[in-house]
Amino acid sequence: MSNAKQSNELIEQLATTERSFIRFTLGQRWEHVIVIISFTILLFTGLPQKYRTTTWSQTILSTPERVEMIRQIHHIAAVVLIAEVIYHLGFALYLLFKRKLSGEMFPTWQDFKDAWQMIKYLLFLSKRKPAFGKYNFEQKFTYWFIFFGIGIMVITGLILWFPIFFTQFLPGGIIPAAKLAHSSEAIVAVIFIITWHVYHNHLERQNLSIFTGRLNEKEYRKFHPLEYQRITGEKPEPNEAGGR
Amino acid sequence: MLVRRFAIYTLSGIFILSIFFILAYSPSVIAAPNLQKETPIPLLSISDDTCLECHGKPGPTYQLQNGDTLDLYINPNDHANSVHGKLGYACVQCHRDVGNYPHPPFIAKDRRDVSIQLNQTCQYCHSSQNELTKDSVHARALENGNSNAAICVDCHTAHTVKRLIDPQTQELLPEARLWIPQTCAKCHNEIYQKYQESVHGSALIGNGNPDVPTCIDCHGVHNIEDPTTAQFRLNSPQICAKCHTDPEIMDKYGISTQVLNTYVADFHGTSILLFEPKTPDAQENKPVCYDCHGVHDIKAVDDPEKGLQVKENILIRCQVCHPDANTNFPSAWLSHYIPSPTVYPVVYYINLFYKFFIPTVVGGMAVLVTLDFTTARRKKRKASKSTGLETAEVKPPTEESTVEETIVEEITVEEPTLEVTPTEETALDESNNYNERIKDISESQELSQDTDLESDYGNEEVPDGE
Repeated sequence: MSNAKQSNELIEQLATTERSFIRFTLGQRWEHVIVIISFTILLFTGLPQKYRTTTWSQTILSTPERVEMIRQIHHIAAVVLIAEVIYHLGFALYLLFKRKLSGEMFPTWQDFKDAWQMIKYLLFLSKRKPAFGKYNFEQKFTYWFIFFGIGIMVITGLILWFPIFFTQFLPGGIIPAAKLAHSSEAIVAVIFIITWHVYHNHLERQNLSIFTGRLNEKEYRKFHPLEYQRITGEKPEPNEAGGR
Repeated sequence: MLVRRFAIYTLSGIFILSIFFILAYSPSVIAAPNLQKETPIPLLSISDDTCLECHGKPGPTYQLQNGDTLDLYINPNDHANSVHGKLGYACVQCHRDVGNYPHPPFIAKDRRDVSIQLNQTCQYCHSSQNELTKDSVHARALENGNSNAAICVDCHTAHTVKRLIDPQTQELLPEARLWIPQTCAKCHNEIYQKYQESVHGSALIGNGNPDVPTCIDCHGVHNIEDPTTAQFRLNSPQICAKCHTDPEIMDKYGISTQVLNTYVADFHGTSILLFEPKTPDAQENKPVCYDCHGVHDIKAVDDPEKGLQVKENILIRCQVCHPDANTNFPSAWLSHYIPSPTVYPVVYYINLFYKFFIPTVVGGMAVLVTLDFTTARRKKRKASKSTGLETAEVKPPTEESTVEETIVEEITVEEPTLEVTPTEETALDESNNYNERIKDISESQELSQDTDLESDYGNEEVPDGE
């Protein structure tokens, strides 16, 4: 009873004010910036090495000194990315041990159901779109795809960087295997980022919340209704909305 | 009057004479000196017999500057059997400025100097080869003072020149292939010894195999370049590739013709080939064919002792640049094999995986993105046609059917015990619960027919439409 009244008051409040919720912490935003920068540098120094028989690559890599230089830059950017990965994983472990790691990013059966529902909707077989929590299935897919993608790149990249070390205890055949995996996965990552990630965040709609850290109420209600419910169901505290 | 005429005549005369003297006796500008001696016209009236009268018998000698004696005897059969003799070339066609006896004076420092001087005669008929030799490492050595550097007569001899080329096909005669290493061995004997034991040399010298290279196949014949330069190094894979990518030759011995492709596809070869077109003299330390396979001591790869299929043998080569490598390391090099299910299967299957994975990812995403995009466009079009609801603004709660309102209403009406506020459950469980409830709700009730953009997500019905 009192709940209904409370909720109605809230609704009234919502109707007149426009709030925004914190969606990403400052740490997460910085992580994303670092990933963007290192990823771009790795791409621009990696692709000429992969396609080194093309003319555009040979204008860049025209002398042995330039090859050395581009390798150095690639390694430095890789180290930055590895540091970011260590921070990310370390922080997640820290939260895990404090029992504060939110399960919101982990895939669940509901996500598969949501995906299926979405496909039906897009194919005009259903009139209903699924209701999402904090992260919809597309965002979870993006995260985990890149998670494992970067994982593969880091591991194979390190194997390529230190072949003597790794062949001390692993068969030599992993070197050409690592080279193939590294260069192919890079292509996958590039295509994925440019088509999927950039499309969903800049072309489908402009979603700058990873940079501002905030998502306004309207969009929250529209795109993440369950999370919005969870947040505003209690006393609205910005930290609770996504504080981590 | 007379004095005036006399003066005019005199002055004119002086003027004319001085012009004459100026023209006749002015110092001439020295143009580039003509280094080539004027071609002496051979006195073809002197027959070989005339020369051989003295020179065909042992005896005549000539004193050189350093005291050595030059033997002037030539065995008549030598020249007659040589290619020049058989073609009827006379002595005087090479020995152009000698003429008949008494011969003009001939100064030579030593025996070697005689040869060097007389070597100048070849160019009059063989000018193209002569031009080529000017670029060779031998000519440069000669210029730098090494008088023992090879000149025409060192390889071809003077009077016993042999035919080397088949006049019909312009190819090297089979017997000439055998002579070539022996000729080079005159100065480069150590290399010849190694070559004899190599897989190429033993086939040539032992079996007269015409498919193997002789010295000139790799080093060139007249414009022999310095093989220690970076340029030679960067270009050397092409030398080996001439035969080793030719199936006509390689199939006879069961040798793969993919060796250049596989070399170029991997680390080492890509670097070498990368710089060859742009900076052919780049100092590039990546290995070329001969760094691993050896230069003159090339053995077959399955040679039990020295063959590169023996891991330890190739490991030695790897350790030249990778000193800490152990026996695992050589298999990092695909050994000129193309990965297949049996050879380097891991590489093969990774390749196969990505052949499917990349198109799947690209294709799948393209489909989803297109569907998403077209749906969004349709919505925008529909929205702009609808009445007054152009932008998704917050509307008064009574008119709209937002998700949370629906939940709130329905929940409080039907099941008052369920709370809107989250309990101690985790957010994950919560979402699941709420999703379940929403589905139940949406399936059980009819919702508004508004084309409300804001309530797209959730359980709003979208009106039947185009």
